[in-house]
Amino acid sequence: MAKIKFILNNEMRTVDVEPNETLLDVLRDKMGVKSPKCGCDRGDCGACAVMIDGKSVRSCLVFAIEVNGQEVTTLEGISQPKLTKLQEAFIQFNSFQCGYCAPGVIISATELLNNNPHPDLEEIKEALSGNLCRCTGYQPIFEAIMDVSRKRKK
Amino acid sequence: MNKYKFVGKPIVRIDGREKVSGAAIYGDDIDFGPNLLYAEIVESTEAHAIIKSIDTSEAEKVEGVFKVFTGKDFPYKFGLYMKDRYIFAQDKVRFVGEQVAAVIGRTPQAAKKGAQLVKVEYKPLPVVTNQMDALKKDSVLLHPDLGEYPHVPWFFPKPKTNVAHWRKTRKGDLEKGFKEADLVFEDEYFVPRYAHCAIETHVAIGKYDLGGRLTVWSSSQSPHTQRHLFAEALAPMGLTHKDVRVIAPHVGGGFGGKAGVTMEIIPAALATKLKGYAVKLRWTRQQEFVNTYQRLGVVAKLKVGVKKDGTITALDHKIYWDAGAYVEYGANVVNAVGLSAIGPYRIPNVSIDSVCVYTNLPPGGAYRGFGYSEMLFGLESHMTQIAHKLGMDEVKFRLKNAIKEGDKTAYGADMNPNGLLECIEKVAKEIDWGKKIVSKDPKKAIGKGFSLFWKAPAMPPNASSSAFLKFNEDASINLIISGMDIGQGYQTVMAQIAAEVLSVPPSKIRVETPDTDRNPYEWQTVASHITWSSGNAVKKAAIDAKEQILALVERVFVIPKDQLYLEDEAVKCTTRKNFNLPLRDFVVNGIMTEDGTFKGGPINARGMFLPEFSSANSDPETSQGGHPNVHYTVGAGALILEVDKDTGKMHVIKAVEAIDAGQAINPDLIKGQITGGLLQGLATVLYEDMRYDEKGKLLNPNFTDYKIPTAMDVPDEIVPIIVEVPQPDGPFGARGIGEHTMLPAAPMIANAVEDAIGIRIKSMPFTAEKVAMAMLNLKNKKGK
Amino acid sequence: MAVVHNFEYYKPLKLAETLKLLKKYGDKAKLLAGGTDLAVFIKEGVLFPEAVIDIKHVKELQKLELKKDGLFVGAQASFSDILESANIKKDYLLLWESARSVASVGIRNRATLVGNICSAVPSLDSGPALLCYDAVVHLASTKGEREVPISEWFLAPRRTAMKPDEIVTGVFIPKPKIKNAGCYLKLGRYGGEDLAQAGLGVFVNDKLEYKLAYCAVGPVPKRAAKIEKLLKGKALSTVLIAKAMSLVPEEIAPIADIRSGKEYRIHMCKIMLERGLEVCTERMKGKIIDTLRILGG
Repeated sequence: MAKIKFILNNEMRTVDVEPNETLLDVLRDKMGVKSPKCGCDRGDCGACAVMIDGKSVRSCLVFAIEVNGQEVTTLEGISQPKLTKLQEAFIQFNSFQCGYCAPGVIISATELLNNNPHPDLEEIKEALSGNLCRCTGYQPIFEAIMDVSRKRKK
Repeated sequence: MNKYKFVGKPIVRIDGREKVSGAAIYGDDIDFGPNLLYAEIVESTEAHAIIKSIDTSEAEKVEGVFKVFTGKDFPYKFGLYMKDRYIFAQDKVRFVGEQVAAVIGRTPQAAKKGAQLVKVEYKPLPVVTNQMDALKKDSVLLHPDLGEYPHVPWFFPKPKTNVAHWRKTRKGDLEKGFKEADLVFEDEYFVPRYAHCAIETHVAIGKYDLGGRLTVWSSSQSPHTQRHLFAEALAPMGLTHKDVRVIAPHVGGGFGGKAGVTMEIIPAALATKLKGYAVKLRWTRQQEFVNTYQRLGVVAKLKVGVKKDGTITALDHKIYWDAGAYVEYGANVVNAVGLSAIGPYRIPNVSIDSVCVYTNLPPGGAYRGFGYSEMLFGLESHMTQIAHKLGMDEVKFRLKNAIKEGDKTAYGADMNPNGLLECIEKVAKEIDWGKKIVSKDPKKAIGKGFSLFWKAPAMPPNASSSAFLKFNEDASINLIISGMDIGQGYQTVMAQIAAEVLSVPPSKIRVETPDTDRNPYEWQTVASHITWSSGNAVKKAAIDAKEQILALVERVFVIPKDQLYLEDEAVKCTTRKNFNLPLRDFVVNGIMTEDGTFKGGPINARGMFLPEFSSANSDPETSQGGHPNVHYTVGAGALILEVDKDTGKMHVIKAVEAIDAGQAINPDLIKGQITGGLLQGLATVLYEDMRYDEKGKLLNPNFTDYKIPTAMDVPDEIVPIIVEVPQPDGPFGARGIGEHTMLPAAPMIANAVEDAIGIRIKSMPFTAEKVAMAMLNLKNKKGK
Repeated sequence: MAVVHNFEYYKPLKLAETLKLLKKYGDKAKLLAGGTDLAVFIKEGVLFPEAVIDIKHVKELQKLELKKDGLFVGAQASFSDILESANIKKDYLLLWESARSVASVGIRNRATLVGNICSAVPSLDSGPALLCYDAVVHLASTKGEREVPISEWFLAPRRTAMKPDEIVTGVFIPKPKIKNAGCYLKLGRYGGEDLAQAGLGVFVNDKLEYKLAYCAVGPVPKRAAKIEKLLKGKALSTVLIAKAMSLVPEEIAPIADIRSGKEYRIHMCKIMLERGLEVCTERMKGKIIDTLRILGG
């Protein structure tokens, strides 16, 4: 068991972990952060996406011990102090149905818009291709992202 | 144009903020504290075998292992329509992955380590993985005791065979029908098995507390049905329905996979032997593929007779279903299609045989479409083929034979009001039917495909819904119902229905996920019946509330009720313009009269709906006589497909789908069902399928090799069209559309592939490989 | 997922420290960079390392270095690092396209090119690009450093020329000296991320020297030497391309598996050769072509 310390959603936290515990399990079971979801446990579905130092990762493929000293952001962190324009657009365009993939999808879309404020449709598709959504058919997700992009100043 | 204030409007979802912020709680998100136990399942490695012995001694020695259970501890059967399944395998296993034992650990690691050490000795039996083989006389029998299994009265198992149910539908005179035909055309179609692939895997937590009550938290489409089946199966433990409670949090996708009961009964049963503890079971993705329901595989043999003018005279449809090792739910898929395999057509002479066959593959069960996708792949491929053979345009052929209101269904009941012709015409126009598109790229060919679809809710004749509605002090409302929002937008739609009756905006109505202790009965969230059935119950509850409100106002203000109405969260009066009594002034605390006393009190209302006209009683040899289906939802679809002639890769340029929703309660949510359902359907025809080896082992139990569509796989354009021919007994005329949106996908692709490259493919899926190799073979043949 | 196997975790800050750990543990240690393969293997009980050495903080193992004579892809360079470099896209388009074809953003943000070649699975996407660029693998151990040409790197599925006490510090990719064009074509089962059913790197320069390398159609990624020889010095024509395509079955040794049949792989390797050569010809003329959907779909 090792003690690790890292910034989680703008707060310095410490937690004891075994080397073989994944970041996903530690966030959910030891730190009470439940938005990252387990969908496949092998990096295929993207439901467990979180950001480490601003880059999206599959938290099921990261051992928690690796993030010692780094900064981890989950959807809970993005939603504070209020929902982002992207999240509001997700509501407006019905960009989710069951909602289970939404945390991962929003993490990926947030990263995309951070890096590329005005992505074209192909760039949006490519950026989201690692997030599986079984409900929406993805079109409403594209619409929400394009809407945010359109409303941003060029 | 719209006569309603909230119905028919694209209201934003009332569960939006919690779902986009990560606040929504799903089964695996609930905390149970440090005393929670974890279950790990020991699964059968054999597809068919006698269990000779189970040695749990090594597992019990593992530090942190709390207890180990086997089938001996739970000799109980369960099943929705037929009790053919045990909680744990007893003396026999019948599919790879079947639950044989459970190891309970203090930590998930201990449980898993223990499970790896349980030794099971098997005596293998012959394995049958294909329904056609299982039908042969010399096939091994999966259930020698089939004749003794309890089942619903509308199932017809054939003891001492592998036929679990045989639905026969007969109408008119088949032989005469074929004699009248100028052309009789026969063909065969093949559909493999598919997996639902909700992104959330199954999870359930059982707790049998020291006070003697069993609570199960479960990711479920069917909390009340689960409670019922748990109570039934565990009755020998002394449990009654009131002692069993199912709490269903948000569900991370259902698609039929979380209907009825599958793995949830395991933690429910385990809990009864772990008194005082909560025990959790969560499927891994691999287990999700193997040990839940799967969509059944199909071999369909079709024979259709037509006259030169295109009139269909006869249809003989034989459908053989690979239903897996247990058919307690899957047999009803077979039943539903056996009643409806004429498709949305007017055909005078009909014979349908829908045969449910046991095989040594995982249990088949409900999957979005409930067998209709599989049936329509063959039927709608066949209709296009036969139109071509007649030299007739396939859309004109369909228009000529399409079923209309009042036409007889195969089992003799009248077809409900519907907008099928309008759907066909609108789709044909939108897709520019009849106009051939030539690709600018010589490597590509472009084709168009068309298909009709229909589906009725498959449910027992007495499946019911109910609703409670209570007002709060500020005239906001808690609507207490037990359907599940599995993503389709159920909570929002129910809020819109109540809002319409009570003139309270949906944003002031809260709908929570259910708890069977507190929420009234709902059969299940399946069959695309929930908008219709639960919607009726909600509407009645809202009317009940309205009646209570108006009666109170009538009593206090002495205004005749028929002069009172609700508008903008207030009671108003047609004869007194200035009368305006805000609901918030009295719906909880009553109305103060001149002497300071109060009249009225909290408005609590209820509503219930059961389709009293429905009946499953019919002649077992013909299916004539009953009214098994409450109504059909119909529609049409078409698409433009681009095929790369060398690589076989296909791309949908445009897809159009028209569906008759009766009355769209929320058009945006219907469009969401179309974009989502269509993609799910396209995936089944373009790349998904479950691959088994000859020993019954699934070869692709993960998303690495079972490919579900990504953002890179969507059509360029989807045009949803909503047609509205009201359903007379639906809430505001509405009927369900959720499953239907994926139904036409496979035949549309099949028909478009043929239109593009002249090759008819009759076996799903149409992978790029299959198309490319077919092209190559054709080229080589022509070369010779 | 409950992970049953546990291990010692090390986070060395210096290369010397890393090499010492490798010497101590030998093949009982696994190096962790992106971890996108390693984590799956440990979780699913495929690998049981005693020690996991996280090399993300080793000072000497840099990320990317663009030099005059070539590109050094350090052991810490992720596929995203490669994709974010405009210079790589400009000068090493074949490498850039192969990086883009790897999985998806969330994986590429972690997964490294060096990790990819160490996994040495037959379908690895970076194989053809490195073979076409004649890359050189740089290794270090307590005994010193050595270099292995990429052509000698892949020995068999999941086996490389690396010894248990060695670490790959990076891969050097010489900069092509004259005007050139390249592309990477990947055959997957659909538009989304997939392991390659077949992959092909195509490279051509002004002297009409062609380099071609396949992956996923043999035990290791491999150059197509016979076809290269046939094409050398010749301008492409329909007849020549057809001849080249007919040589494809001699260059590859595909198997049938869950992802594809053997015949389809052979057929598609021909088609990919044809389209890859067409793309490179057009690119030599300065035309901008996106290869993302070049195989249709």
